[in-house]
Amino acid sequence: MSRIELTRFPIVKSAVKNRWPQLAVFIVMLAGYLFAILAGLIGTPVGSHNFSIVFVWIAWWAILILVAVPFFGRGWCAVCPIPLPGEWLQRGAVLNPPDKNPKWLNLRWPKALRNIWLQNISFLLLALFSSVLLTTPNVTGIVLAAMLFGAIGLSTVFERRAFCRYLCPVGGFIGLYSQAAPIELRIKDKQVCVTCDGKPCYNGSTNGYGCPWDVFPGGLTKNTYCGLCMECIRTCPHDNIAINLRPFSADLAKPSARMDEAFKAFVMLGSAMIYAGVLLGPWSALKDAAYKVGTGAWFIYAAAFLGIIFIIMPSLFAFCISRFENLKSFKKRFATLSTSLIPLGLMFWVAFSLSFVLTNATYILASLSDPLGLGWNLFGTAEAAWQPLLTSILAPGQTLALVGGLVWSVRTARKAASEARVSSIPVIAYCFTATLVMLWLLL
Amino acid sequence: MKRPELLSRILIVAATLGAIGAPLFFWTRTPLIHAQMAEDGGWSPDVIQAEVGKPLHLRLTSDDVLHGFAVGQMQMDAVDIEPGKVTDIELTFDKPGIYTFFCTRWCGVNHWRMRGTIEVSGSDPEPVLSKADGAPLYVSLGLDIDATHDAPVIPETQPSAISGQQLAANLPISQYANPHFYRANSPYQLYENLNSTDLSDSEKWDVVSYIWESNTTPEALANGSQLYAQNCAACHGENGAGDGVFADDLAEAGESSMHNMTGAAEMAMQTPVDFTDSKRMLGASPALLQGKILRGGMGTGMPMWGSIFTEEQIWDLIAYLYSFQFIYQGATQ
Amino acid sequence: MRSRFFLLLFVMAGLVVAFAPLPVRPIAPQERNFRIEARQYAYSPAELEVNSGDTVTVQLVSTDVVHGLYIDGYDISVEADPGQTAALRFTADRSGSFRMRCNVTCGAMHPFMIGKLTVGTNGWLYRSIGLATLAVIGFLPLSSFITQKKKEH
Repeated sequence: MSRIELTRFPIVKSAVKNRWPQLAVFIVMLAGYLFAILAGLIGTPVGSHNFSIVFVWIAWWAILILVAVPFFGRGWCAVCPIPLPGEWLQRGAVLNPPDKNPKWLNLRWPKALRNIWLQNISFLLLALFSSVLLTTPNVTGIVLAAMLFGAIGLSTVFERRAFCRYLCPVGGFIGLYSQAAPIELRIKDKQVCVTCDGKPCYNGSTNGYGCPWDVFPGGLTKNTYCGLCMECIRTCPHDNIAINLRPFSADLAKPSARMDEAFKAFVMLGSAMIYAGVLLGPWSALKDAAYKVGTGAWFIYAAAFLGIIFIIMPSLFAFCISRFENLKSFKKRFATLSTSLIPLGLMFWVAFSLSFVLTNATYILASLSDPLGLGWNLFGTAEAAWQPLLTSILAPGQTLALVGGLVWSVRTARKAASEARVSSIPVIAYCFTATLVMLWLLL
Repeated sequence: MKRPELLSRILIVAATLGAIGAPLFFWTRTPLIHAQMAEDGGWSPDVIQAEVGKPLHLRLTSDDVLHGFAVGQMQMDAVDIEPGKVTDIELTFDKPGIYTFFCTRWCGVNHWRMRGTIEVSGSDPEPVLSKADGAPLYVSLGLDIDATHDAPVIPETQPSAISGQQLAANLPISQYANPHFYRANSPYQLYENLNSTDLSDSEKWDVVSYIWESNTTPEALANGSQLYAQNCAACHGENGAGDGVFADDLAEAGESSMHNMTGAAEMAMQTPVDFTDSKRMLGASPALLQGKILRGGMGTGMPMWGSIFTEEQIWDLIAYLYSFQFIYQGATQ
Repeated sequence: MRSRFFLLLFVMAGLVVAFAPLPVRPIAPQERNFRIEARQYAYSPAELEVNSGDTVTVQLVSTDVVHGLYIDGYDISVEADPGQTAALRFTADRSGSFRMRCNVTCGAMHPFMIGKLTVGTNGWLYRSIGLATLAVIGFLPLSSFITQKKKEH
């Protein structure tokens, strides 16, 4: 497989090794994040005219799911402001390399929780309350603040970026989908790492910190848990770490056999379909149930949501693949074959988000000029009217995304199935059925 | 500490303070009047101070749905208050007093309760002695506007003003075609007065409808039609049949919504009046209708419009209400 | 060579499914009238079906606050206050499925106040199902052909 090393180019290399370019982006992101919290808490309660709703759930979400994740994998994690205050506190510095004195508690994350189950749960918590979260500024403000302060708190107790690695609801699915992205961070020469003393890329040195994501860069074979923070590139004394351009879905050729990741695929696939039906469909009973949190209807909705994701969809998948004679290690087969759902889930989210974003993108113009709804007109666009964009390309675009995702998943399924020495047809049938349902929901 | 580290920390602190401080600073310096549905608080603040002759600059925003703003008894066009956006209004008051401002876009069944006051202080540049229309007509006539006022006799078909005009050519109708008679009498009472003629029942009703129309103008009817559509149709129905979109809510609301609003007990909601009900309408004089409109329904859900509409607006509206009973020549429906 | 033939065949089939005009049953255009009640946050009825070429009048009746009705694809809209029914009149000259959306901010769930208008056949749904089916069929024998050919070499 061909790889193009991007860090071979001097401009890329210096942009990554030097801490200032990333810091500049960090400062802008942090300021934007704090501003979004304030806007949510004191700005207009009308979501469509509040910076927090428009810039988090429309602008940032669009860039995340349509550009950052498919093309840059965990690229957002590279610039996300949430872990920064905690990490600066943890390190006692912003730019300075480590000194010998550990600050704070630096506890190891508990072994039993060293998986992505907490991230599955945190994503689902947001999803169950999504109708309120996506439309109510002060709820968004509170959630953003909670994540920020949660990350800071965890940084004072645990080592490295505990929030990012084990709690962040966004990081959970970005990590899963980054396996399909055409960019990666890998070592250049394995022999160099074998003879390397002290493994500073993980343990830190006077040049830089050890991996904040609790990953051993020398052993990185998949994108899933590498947050592209570039720390190891700065720390490695042998200049042995590179960022490469590579074919799409290269990591899916080595499917993971972990159940937490398998269920993450179902969480994302299922919630994309449920969102498409509830939020973009014409069925008012579903919307009412989703919005009226705390009522009986909402509990039924939540139970159905969780039932679809944790029971119905995985059981159907298990049923599909159970009819094989070779039932050795069913759990392993379930997990490896479910990686076929990763490209499908990504494209489901792309197709769903296309509709939501194209319809509401014009709110960004008004919100730029009057982010708090106080009557400002900073850029002259405060009166920009709501106008759905490009609605004629929506159906073809969603078709392309969904059929493309299906093709991608079929290819992934064939590779995973041939490695497990079973037929890929049941998995393909499952993906096909899911695609038909999503097409019917969206088109 | 090394220079880069110091610089980076300064930048971070500056960005943080700016991102938090700037919105807080401008927010505290931007007093806005917030419009919310009546159930969520209505106008806040709902009392505004002003001075005679001094322009009052108001900045309004809506926190939920589309609202509107206008001041009662003043010549001004209503202004929309859009959710999430700020609308600027400048008002100048010539006379001191308490003015009522109100919402002009339907925002729920309690839309009419969305009112506030502007207390205008200062001296009156042209003090006027108490005007003749101090007490409304129904008071000076001694009408009990809550008593039933059914007409004992009603027409079989809808009376036509065109036919009435032809019939009335030979009748001494000038005593009826004037505001004093018209306002103080119901159509049925005029019908009774026509018993001295030799017209048939339906012909008498036709003449009544013609006389009723001649007591108003096409402009007034058009004005009344617009006032009705904007203020009354939501409850009373676009065709006057008491079947507006809120009719069911009013019937069901019962005690609870009134209890929240005024703290009063034992107020029963009724369905909105059906203006196509001939018995009720033909037995009602304009003065009685004016009384109902001015005073409101005392707990029935019918708003009081005394501080909102001018006298002229109310007479125009009343003239329009009768067009649900009569076929007018300049039909505006 | 055979694999290339099949590849070409499937690409052609895909283009046909995606772009070939769908057979249209000629139905004489009619006048259609719909009364849609709008509330926070739903239309009732929420799904409309008309034939291609019909002249459609939608009476929008708002039952609580001011709502609007905007139709994707046609880019037309109307707004109605409670008590003032508003009419939207248009000729259904574009076929397919179009979302109807509220275009007057009417509360929190306003962006999700959605209905659906179907004019004639929902072409893209059938095309996309066709393409998905083609993709699954195509990639199964095609891929095994290619791997088989590779093994043979």
